[in-house]
Amino acid sequence: MQALLRLLQLADSAVPIGGTAHSFGVETLTEEGYLTSETAEAFFHEYIGEAGSLEASFVRRAWRGEDPIQLNDEYTARKPARESREASQKMGQRFARLVTAMTQEPGIPDGLSYPIAFGVAGARMGIEEHATILAYLRQSLAGLVSACQRLMPIGQVAASCLQWNLMPSIEGAVLASQDNEEAGCFNPLSELASMRHGSIETRLFIS
Amino acid sequence: MYVDVQEPPWRVIRAFADKDRSSLVHVHNVSGGVLAGDHLTMNIDVSAGASAQVTTTGATRLYRHREGSRDSEQHVGITLGEDALLEYLPDALIPFAGSRHSQHVSVQLADRATFLWWEVLAPGRQAMGEVFAFDRLRIKTDVRSSARPLLIDNFTLEPAKRPLSSHARLGPYTHLANFYAFSAGTPASTWISLEAKFNKLCSAQSSPGDTIWGSSRLASDGVAVRGLSISARKLPAMLAAVWKIAKHALTGRDAILPRKVY
Repeated sequence: MQALLRLLQLADSAVPIGGTAHSFGVETLTEEGYLTSETAEAFFHEYIGEAGSLEASFVRRAWRGEDPIQLNDEYTARKPARESREASQKMGQRFARLVTAMTQEPGIPDGLSYPIAFGVAGARMGIEEHATILAYLRQSLAGLVSACQRLMPIGQVAASCLQWNLMPSIEGAVLASQDNEEAGCFNPLSELASMRHGSIETRLFIS
Repeated sequence: MYVDVQEPPWRVIRAFADKDRSSLVHVHNVSGGVLAGDHLTMNIDVSAGASAQVTTTGATRLYRHREGSRDSEQHVGITLGEDALLEYLPDALIPFAGSRHSQHVSVQLADRATFLWWEVLAPGRQAMGEVFAFDRLRIKTDVRSSARPLLIDNFTLEPAKRPLSSHARLGPYTHLANFYAFSAGTPASTWISLEAKFNKLCSAQSSPGDTIWGSSRLASDGVAVRGLSISARKLPAMLAAVWKIAKHALTGRDAILPRKVY
């Protein structure tokens, strides 16, 4: 029961780690017309299959106790888009400090990207592996859907339905990462959107 | 240049001395393409202080898979000694309809080594109506310095199962281009400056819906420029432009085009 309560708190979309300041390229995709309220669900189904699988694999490997520093080096090498990479690192750092503050225990090494910090925390708190990864992906997706609500006409009910409908894709990404340490990811348009984010004239998000 | 071993279909004849005394090497595929079951391995070793430019004589064409054959494979292993420079500038990769292929590029940089690399992925024989008609294409890329990994890329494309036209992948674009510049131990300020220069150029050369470019410094010791286009014709000039900027910024030397049209 304690593990579930901890998971619910860590995975809350309101956890104070700065996630709402980042769109991970969604703002550029919207600005340039690739992502609309009509196409968002189809987009995220495919996006989760690519970026979600990659993130899931790193949460899993961190949970399983691989060296977090080396894992972080590998993760950052897989993220060529600087803004998204730095966003993940900032969120990871804030998350690590939050966990230390809440648990009063020496905790997660500093400087880890968010999926790795999350995986380490999940293992240390006795949260089951599968649940940790599901929670991470669900929270990440909630953040992106929230970003969409600020960028396009998606109401609260529509956003909730969108997240509800994406659950099978989240589970699919988690299962796909299960025995696949070398997770694949092909999302060049999203990465390019993150790279091009700085060229947007008026930006709501840091990334 | 010293050739340790070579067997068809890849051949190098000789190196040409470029104006800056680096070795220009053309890798020929004498069979005209990569066939089902082919297993090709190329190892390039640039010694400490040496410089080389390696290019191809034409696009790498991946032919249709034949039932009963293994997927074709191509392995490129690159090792750069201290203060070495390698410009690896192959022509485009064109996967024909029905092809199944794996490509693995592995690069190891010693201290102060510089590696400049571009790659272009085409959708197929577009003029014949072949767009993403290949069965499977696996790409693995691993670039490392002595301290850490610099770039890791790993994906499998199976257009029939996961459509590449999804906006989560290529969207309306058909051609992907990457340019990477790595230089082990170069200060962060150099990469910040290069990223800024590239992004200015990328903004000027981008036209959403036709061709878009973006640039980003990597986690360490490198910078990437990425482009997506609806046409192969829009890519070479920009790749040559960023390459020239990068080479000058990192080595103080001018880029010498390998005698092709850009």
